[in-house]
Amino acid sequence: MTTYTICIFTENTIGLLNRITIIFTRRRINIESLTVSETERKGVSRFTIVIKHDSREAVEKLVRQIRKIVEVMAVFGYLNDEIVFNEIALFKVSTPLGGKALDVETINTRYKAWVVYWGLDYVVIEKTGAETEIFDFFSYLRQQHEILEFVRSGRVAVGKTEKGLVEYLPEAEWAYYL
Amino acid sequence: MEAITSVMPEIQEEPQAPTLINGSQALMRALVAEGVETIFGYPGGAIMPVYDALYDFQDQINHILVRHEQGAAHAAEGYARVTGRAGVCLVTSGPGATNLVTGIADALIDSTPMVCIVGQVGKKLLGTDAFQEADVMGVTMPITKWNYQITSADEVPDVLAKAFYIAQSGRPGPVLIDITKSAQLELMTRPFAYERCQNIISYRPRLVPKRDQVEAAARLINEAKRPYALVGHGVQIAKAEDELRLFVEKTGIPVATTLLGQSTIPTNHPLYVGWLGMHGNYGPNVLTDEADVIIAIGMRFDDRVTGDASKYIRQAKVIHIEIDPSEIDKIIRADAPVVGDAKEVLKALLPLVHPNDHTVWRNEFRKYDAIEHESITVPELTSTEGKIRMAEVIDLVSKKTKGEAILVTDVGQHQMMASRYYQFRRPNSLVTSGGMGTMGFALPAAFGAKVGAPDREVVAIIGDGCFQMTLQELGTIVQNKQPVKAIILNNNFLGMVRQWQQLFHERRYSFVELQNPDFITIAKGFGMAGHTCDQRDNLSASLDQMLAHDGPYLLEVIVEKEENVFPMVPAGASVSQIRLK
Ligand SMILES: Cc1ncc(C[n+]2csc(CCOP(=O)(O)OP(=O)(O)O)c2C)c(N)n1
Repeated sequence: MTTYTICIFTENTIGLLNRITIIFTRRRINIESLTVSETERKGVSRFTIVIKHDSREAVEKLVRQIRKIVEVMAVFGYLNDEIVFNEIALFKVSTPLGGKALDVETINTRYKAWVVYWGLDYVVIEKTGAETEIFDFFSYLRQQHEILEFVRSGRVAVGKTEKGLVEYLPEAEWAYYL
Repeated sequence: MEAITSVMPEIQEEPQAPTLINGSQALMRALVAEGVETIFGYPGGAIMPVYDALYDFQDQINHILVRHEQGAAHAAEGYARVTGRAGVCLVTSGPGATNLVTGIADALIDSTPMVCIVGQVGKKLLGTDAFQEADVMGVTMPITKWNYQITSADEVPDVLAKAFYIAQSGRPGPVLIDITKSAQLELMTRPFAYERCQNIISYRPRLVPKRDQVEAAARLINEAKRPYALVGHGVQIAKAEDELRLFVEKTGIPVATTLLGQSTIPTNHPLYVGWLGMHGNYGPNVLTDEADVIIAIGMRFDDRVTGDASKYIRQAKVIHIEIDPSEIDKIIRADAPVVGDAKEVLKALLPLVHPNDHTVWRNEFRKYDAIEHESITVPELTSTEGKIRMAEVIDLVSKKTKGEAILVTDVGQHQMMASRYYQFRRPNSLVTSGGMGTMGFALPAAFGAKVGAPDREVVAIIGDGCFQMTLQELGTIVQNKQPVKAIILNNNFLGMVRQWQQLFHERRYSFVELQNPDFITIAKGFGMAGHTCDQRDNLSASLDQMLAHDGPYLLEVIVEKEENVFPMVPAGASVSQIRLK
């Protein structure tokens, strides 16, 4: 199984998420993660969808089917080495009075993670990175403290080309993936 | 500046309040602006304001009241298929909308332009399970080319313009507009203005092909020893029949069509070799596996055409001419894809291809034709024993209408027989449900086709099972005085299913026999003329009587009960394993 990151630029309209995900479900492709936000251009959204698949051909077909949706402006399918990508995770860690002290130095320097909120008897630590880095940190923390809550975002990614691809949108001369 | 503004109130006349119209009136105006002449519809609570507005537009828009919304959808499809313009349906929310679903799905897979306008509950009631509320957007998302929910009157003109543009351009398809009752009733906040949509930033179908793609295709064609063109519905959608004819006549390439591609080129054209697919002709199927270059034009390698796709045309280079880039490499890998409108591509290709003599190769088709003719066609057309056979009926219809009619068929054995035996002379003459295989399609679609092409003879060929799925549309036909000629080929069976049970399930006839009503009495009940023909000797006279009748007519022909359609590519087999019996 290879991991593919699919970036979809769309008009920001209601129901589009549905239209896009139908294309995955119809082909029985599981979505590993999904992130959507508006781009720097108003009215243009960017979906980042991560899937695992063993056929590159099938992924190419999927990309074309997504491109077919009227509101979709462009779709790019990437392998991991073609993008810069990250996830963000938040850990809510129990720090009861008289409990084990938080080793902030290790957390900062070794794991590049930061405490972003100090509660009365807990802290919230933020860590960005690839999936493996986040789970490394997870194992470390679990050995030291009780983790009360853990949440991980979907992947965000940009292609390793010079310009942000969204720059090209108004010209709308998108190649037909052929 | 200041001086001017201060005198303004005195010189200004009483400001004229612009006349503002409501969403329903805007909808009517938009339809008129779009050139819509006919709507197939059925009213109900959530679309009442639109019907109220329609009352004032009766001299501009011909509304046809169907008997069931599925009938509206198929009639719109029939209309669209013969006119090339979007068929329009107007229905209420909830059950009205869900009754359209079969027709919408049918239109999507057969690339038929359609605009469905569907009432929805008021905006405040959305998502509350209100009376007759259904999530029509959710339901139709996977079966529409585009859908949109209008929740304010101001959106009407732009959304309608977009809907027609999307439905009719590129690879055509159905579009659904869900409009809330509140949007139908509220006033627009600005004067109505309508501008036809010409482009959408995120949707740009490529019409004109890339030069290098055309050149690559031309090179392959010029070098080919055994080239073979497979033509789909796309050529007629693009109105490229003339270009296709010029192309094959210049290059001498034999041409076959898919089911929906039939009538693109006259059946008796010397370069036409027949049709492809599960029940298509013998030669065209077998010889796809012998060609060295396949030129697929406006077709999508449906599994009913390819049989087992993993064994299909592995020997040939494939040129795939398609307007929808997502069809390229979807089923069959193309060596030379050409993305563009079939008409534009053929126009570009024409000067680049060389005249060629492929007589030897073409004659191979004739060998297979002779075998098929002798083992299937002759026995079917010349039998004197037993009941009338479907083939005889179609053959006679073909002769009596001189191949000039629009043939509308339903789904089953009669559909395949109609395709086998009708000799098409003119383009756009076969209206059938190909991709979806929707039983109940023919009667309403024939009606829609007649509305769209009033000058042409429209003959529907319908199975006894299919007829009972939408027979209530006899009422629509009679009320609108449309002289549709409908022929029921009655074998008292769900014939096609029975055939499969006979061939592949050891004759275990599981629930395929029908106890049929008296169809002619039913027709008479609706006020439609008709009669039953049970004797071979009367068949010709019966058809004459039907065709001569001034008005709609139902002819029931009692046919052989257990007849099979051959040739046949068994499901999952490769096309060269086609069976003659
Ligand atoms: C709505 C729908 N239901 C079921 C089928 C499956 N089906 C395909 S052909 C057929 C039999 C059609 O029987 P009839 O109309 O009598 O035509 P015949 O095959 O006898 O010519 C059936 C049931 C279908 N295509 N569409």
